[in-house]
Formats: sequence, C-alpha cells, structure tokens
Amino acid sequence: MCDCKTREVASPLLPHIATINKVIDETSNIKTFQVAFDEPGVLENFGNMPGQCCMLSILGVGESMISITSSPTRKGMLEFSIVKVGRLTDAIHELGEGDKMAIRGPYGNNFPYEMMKGKNLLIIAGGIGLAPVRSLIDYALDNRDDYGRVDIVYGARSTDLLCFKYDVFDKWPKVKDTHVHVTIDREEENWNGHVGFVPSYVEELAFSAENTIAVTCGPPIMIKFVLQALEKMGFKDEDIITTLEMNMRCGIGKCGRCNIGEKYICVDGPVFNLSQIKKLPPEF
Amino acid sequence: MADKSLKKDQVKNLLNKIAQSNQLIAPILSDGITLFKPVQSGEGVVLDYQNAVVPPKDFFFPQSEKMFSYDMSDPSWAIKPEEGVPNRVLFGARPCDVKSILLLDKVFDAEFRDDFYIDKRNKTTIVAISCNDCRHTCFCGAFGISPGKAEGADLLLTDLGDRYLVEVLTDKGETLAANCSDLFSNDDGSGAAAKEKATAPALEKQMKIDLEGVKAKLDNMFDHPMWAAESLRCIGCGTCTFVCPTCHCFDIVDFNNQSSVGYRYRCADSCQFANFTRAAGGHQPRPSKMERTRQRFMHKLRYFVDRYGDFGCVGCGRCLEKCPVNLDIAQIINKVKEVG
Ligand code: SF4
Ligand code: SF4
Ligand code: FES
Repeated sequence: MCDCKTREVASPLLPHIATINKVIDETSNIKTFQVAFDEPGVLENFGNMPGQCCMLSILGVGESMISITSSPTRKGMLEFSIVKVGRLTDAIHELGEGDKMAIRGPYGNNFPYEMMKGKNLLIIAGGIGLAPVRSLIDYALDNRDDYGRVDIVYGARSTDLLCFKYDVFDKWPKVKDTHVHVTIDREEENWNGHVGFVPSYVEELAFSAENTIAVTCGPPIMIKFVLQALEKMGFKDEDIITTLEMNMRCGIGKCGRCNIGEKYICVDGPVFNLSQIKKLPPEF
Repeated sequence: MADKSLKKDQVKNLLNKIAQSNQLIAPILSDGITLFKPVQSGEGVVLDYQNAVVPPKDFFFPQSEKMFSYDMSDPSWAIKPEEGVPNRVLFGARPCDVKSILLLDKVFDAEFRDDFYIDKRNKTTIVAISCNDCRHTCFCGAFGISPGKAEGADLLLTDLGDRYLVEVLTDKGETLAANCSDLFSNDDGSGAAAKEKATAPALEKQMKIDLEGVKAKLDNMFDHPMWAAESLRCIGCGTCTFVCPTCHCFDIVDFNNQSSVGYRYRCADSCQFANFTRAAGGHQPRPSKMERTRQRFMHKLRYFVDRYGDFGCVGCGRCLEKCPVNLDIAQIINKVKEVG
C-alpha cells in the first residue's frame, strides 16, 4: 500500500489504515472499537504506553484525538472507546466489523507506570473517564506483582451509563488484591451497590495515602471534588495524577491549538500531576 | 568565503542565473503592494522595498497546503503523500523575516519533526538583504535583530549605492555564490564600513522598544485586568496572525467533494477565532475576546520564551500596520511595562 520512503518524508502527520475487528456497545452513546492495522509491522512497532492517545479519522469526515483504552500488554489490537459528540464520532458509530479507520499516533505522555511500581494504586473514574485509565489498570493487572494493592472507584449517573461492565464486575474483582468500588448517583431498582457521588464515596472509603498514587479521570466537576477529597485524605500533589483535555488538530505540538501556558497538551500531556497543574495558568 | 561585491547592473543577471536551476522566489510589485512570488527571471523584482505585506513564511508554511490524497474506493484506502518542493532560492528577504524562519524552525524542527516544513526548509537557500531604510512601524532592534545583520540567511546583500556587498554566511550560501562566481568580484575591503553607514539610517529611524522586564512581568499578569480592557476593541478579524511571520497555528481539514477521492490539507488558523479552541463536546477554554487577546500576546512574549528560549516576535511591525483597531504588540509591550 505505501511506499515506505515517501511515508518517512511525510510522517508523523500521515495516518495508517486500520480495520475494525470488534465493536462493543458500552452505553447508548458509547462504543468501544477494537482495531488492528492493515500494514504488517505497524502495530508491533507502535510502542504505545498506558495513557497515550491517537488521532482517529474517517477520511473525508475529520479527525479526533481519542485515548487508547487498551493496555500495551494486550497484543494484536488497540481499543478506543468513543462517545458520540459530533459529526466525526457520529460517523464512527455507524462503523462495524470489517470497516476501516485512519489512525496516527501514539501521541502524548503516559501514566508514570514505571514510577508507580511497588506502590498502591487508587484509580478514581467517572463515566467515560474510565477509558484512559483502563489502559493503566490492565497494564498493572497484567504485571500484577509489580504493583501493590489496586483500588478502583468507578461511578456513573445510572447503571446504564457504566462502561466496561465486563471488566468492572467480572474481570477486575477476580484479580488478587484488586478491589472495585462501584457507585451510581441515584437509587435504582435491582441495584444493591453503593449510591452517591464519586467524591463523597472516595471520602467514605477512607483510603490511606501511604505509598499510594491516586489517578483520577472523569467529568471536570467530579475531578474538582475528587482532588479536594484526596488532598483532605493527605495525598501529596505529586501523588495525585489526572488528565487534561483540549481541542487538538496535529497531536505533535505544531498547530498551536492545545496549549495551556507554554505546555502543549498533545505532547506534554495529557497526564499531569497536581503539582504540575497548579503551575499552569488556569485556562482549561 | 571572503566578502564579494556585485555591481548593480549585474543583479538581474544573477537572478536570471539562479532561476535557471532553482525555483526563484522574490519580491515583486503586485497591484501596488510588494509580495514574495515565484518568478521565472529577474524581471520585475524589486529590492528597494521596505517590507512585504505578508512575510515569505508562506514558502515554508503555506497558508494552505495539501498533505496527502486518498482513494477510499481502493480497498487499502491508498494514501498518497504530496511530493516535496524543488530546490529554491528565497531572494531579498529582510532580516526580521529571516529571523522569523529560525523561530519557526524551533517549532517545526523539534521533537516531532514536521516533514512538510523541513522539506521546504532544506531545499531553500535564503538570500537576505539589509535594510537601508525602514518603516515607521519597525522595531526589530527590540529583539536583537539589526537592519544590517541577518541571522539565518545563507547570503546577505547590502545596497551600497552602485553595488551590493555580498556576505557569504553559510555553506549553502557558499554553494550558491560559487555557482554564480562570474558575476561577483572580490570586495575591496571597503564593504564593511560602507555597510555600516548604509544601514545606519534604518537603525536610527526605527521605533525604540525596550523589552527589559516584560517577560518577568507577564509571568504574573495572567489575571491582570488589562487583557479585558485591551481586548474590547478587537473585532476578531485575525489579520494580526495572518500577517505575522512567526504565527504558526493551523487547522487540518478533509476535502472530498462527496466522492471517494479526496485530500487532506492544512491551512493557517488563528487563535483570535472562537472556534480555534472549541471542542466537539463543547469544552471552550477561551470563550471571549479577553482570553484570545491574552493568548496572542502571552504566547509571543511569555510562553514562546519559556518553551523555546526566544521571543515569538521579530518586530516586523506588520500587526502594527494592519490591525484595523490598533491593537498591536508594541503598544502591549509598553502597556505591560506601565501597568504590570
Ligand atoms: S507580532 Fe506583529 S511585529 Fe511581531 S512578528 Fe508578528 S506581525 Fe511582526
Ligand atoms: S488584534 Fe486587530 S488584527 Fe488581530 S484580530 Fe483583533 S482586530 Fe483583528
Ligand atoms: S494538537 Fe496541535 S499543538 Fe497540540
């Protein structure tokens, strides 16, 4: 398909073509797409790390930055969970098995999975916010002995808005020393689990900050209160990690669109710890 | 290579010679304004202009540029990158515009190398020309640029009345000079002093802007009320960013005209437009003119310095001349010093 010499000249803004192998309906407006590149060798050399993103596109429609939700330990595919929010994501939701996408990446920094080794992980996510951290969770669980206790607090407004139910209820709780705490905002018939907002549930669970790294991802309002809760529980700014989002085009720090102060979120982010975030101009 | 001298009546021959084996890009008068254009010969090239209305940035980072074409009816979606450019000579660029290309290098030739830009950069030899006169809006001196120096150029010409002094600054410049050596003679040693005299008026005439302390003040001025006050008169036209030689923001757009064959291109975009940062989900970190005005000046005078170690402005004065409401960077610098 591609003359490798020309590709080298025009990378890294040229996409690779990938085929969808599997589509999972997560909620009424979120689907997970499992894809593999058509060209042999591309996936093997992709080198993605937990927390990184890709530019996904349907040629002729547009491109959008989407986090890779699968862990690099799961070979032979990449997974992306996509919320229907506009023209491109509407079009992607129409795609099925065997259809194609154009993908370039991986972009951005990653969760500090090396620095986290030997520590406990406290993952706090809301709604689709579980997608980016899922790459980290599966990475840690696939290298289980490298990490301490893993706690996952996950919430959504209602049960039909919970994503990755197969992981949250089936797979993750079965892994040793891994504890999943699910909550929904309001009472629901047939729900015996916790009811309440994520930040207050986190406080209720009273996690120890000792030797623990907290990672949180979700709607801005949830993140705001989770950060307050974590600070109250004694977590140091350096041990609180989250992701920032900005509108993006290039993914490589050129198009000038995603800056917060002198940082480009596409290159220097999306992963930041709280101490780094506090140094940024408050423009996000 | 020692300094050369070029007789005035040989300039056209030099341009013609360059055009034989390169794409020649030079300033010409077009509908009464000076613009850089590809030309076939030395005919119509103007070298005594003050500064082109739009910078020659376009030849490295075009206003709009095809990146690749594709054919979705082909089972593999056949993505075909655009071909590179031929060898080119950019002739007659002013020192500020040449410096701006070094600033663009910091953006496009770093971390992820932008091959569309780098291909054009590598294949272009830059022949700069010193300024003997300048516009009332020029203030390159504020950024350590000088009418008689052209950091980033391969050859530098200075108008000495009956001849040009030709300084060879790089290997690329040396190659070009060697190819045209029959048109040059050796400078008799008087060139350097004559150049200083020739460029002195431009140095004298330009606006004196002092940047001392401005960056440090801006470090603490994110929440300053001056941004709201200054932004009031901006009409959001984006002219300032389109004429600026250091602005590098772009959009990426797909075009397919309702068929399976199409192409993806990138085109200049502006931080002065509301859509620039608005995300599909509705997230909008810069909802009003205040944030957008602040971004433009903070980017050039603070963020660019923090990221790349240099100011993102070369004092070319274009935004001073072209902004319909006089919201320009020189005023902002002075304002920051006053209120910061
Ligand atoms: S900000 Fe204005 S003066 Fe500075 S380089 Fe850009 S157009 Fe020229
Ligand atoms: S600052 Fe001036 S040139 Fe720039 S967008 Fe505003 S009105 Fe237009
Ligand atoms: S997306 Fe272009 S600079 Fe970040």
